[in-house]
Amino acid sequence: MMTCRDVIDVLADYLEQALTPEIAADLERHLAGCEPCRAYLATYRRTRALGAQAARLEMPDEMKARLRQFLLERVR
Amino acid sequence: MTSDERGLLKDAAGGDAGALEALMSRYGSRVYRLAYGITRSSADAEEIAQDVFLQLVRKGAEFEGRAAVASWIYRVTTNVALNKRRGKRREVETSLEDCLPAFEADGHRSGPRAFLVADWSARPDAELLSGEMRRVLEEAIGVLPEHYRAVLILRDVEELSNEEVAASVGDSVSAVKTRLHRARMALREILTRRLGGEGGNPARVPS
Repeated sequence: MMTCRDVIDVLADYLEQALTPEIAADLERHLAGCEPCRAYLATYRRTRALGAQAARLEMPDEMKARLRQFLLERVR
Repeated sequence: MTSDERGLLKDAAGGDAGALEALMSRYGSRVYRLAYGITRSSADAEEIAQDVFLQLVRKGAEFEGRAAVASWIYRVTTNVALNKRRGKRREVETSLEDCLPAFEADGHRSGPRAFLVADWSARPDAELLSGEMRRVLEEAIGVLPEHYRAVLILRDVEELSNEEVAASVGDSVSAVKTRLHRARMALREILTRRLGGEGGNPARVPS
């Protein structure tokens, strides 16, 4: 039987569907009976998405203009 | 290499503004967000982008394909950014440990029940990605060691495989997976401390 610690250890692999079917089934059995782990999984998954959204930046237009100028001065 | 890519690099090396523009629109933001993500400084990210693009244009003809260009860009940007951060490292490892889940001897997570079952995952982006919570999230990302931030961006934003990330950061796949997991756990912990401390049944805001 997996403990909460075992479940949390393999959550990243679980989300990538990289666990063996047997371990994934064990994990899901644990989740079915463990509210803290269900909350952990839901908030872990949401954290992954939030981190990605926060970091998905575009280079600012003024910086692009300066970079273009910088490069043109050096390659010509 | 697509002839398109080869032509672009060749033309850019010759000073063709259109080719430079095309390369910048293809790779500029990828370089910027990785460099910014690692250094957390817009000025540093700009210097890194200049360095990386200048090297890219000068190397131009050496690349064998678009995939090679992309992986070269990720690898060089990561290296240059981590080098820039060298010596600026703060005392972060200990505070990261404080942000990882704690367990009882029997493998149960330890902490007050209300905190353990706090599930704020249904709260809308509008709440979590703006204002005070946005600031909390940015600060939490800033707490991570820069190697962890590099992995987080390459994996969760650029969506590279664990193997590709390992090649970019020059580390093993298992080190990459450990850092990624610890980074996400630390962010989750910090967000939950802020959002989950409102009793056992945190208010859900419909999206």
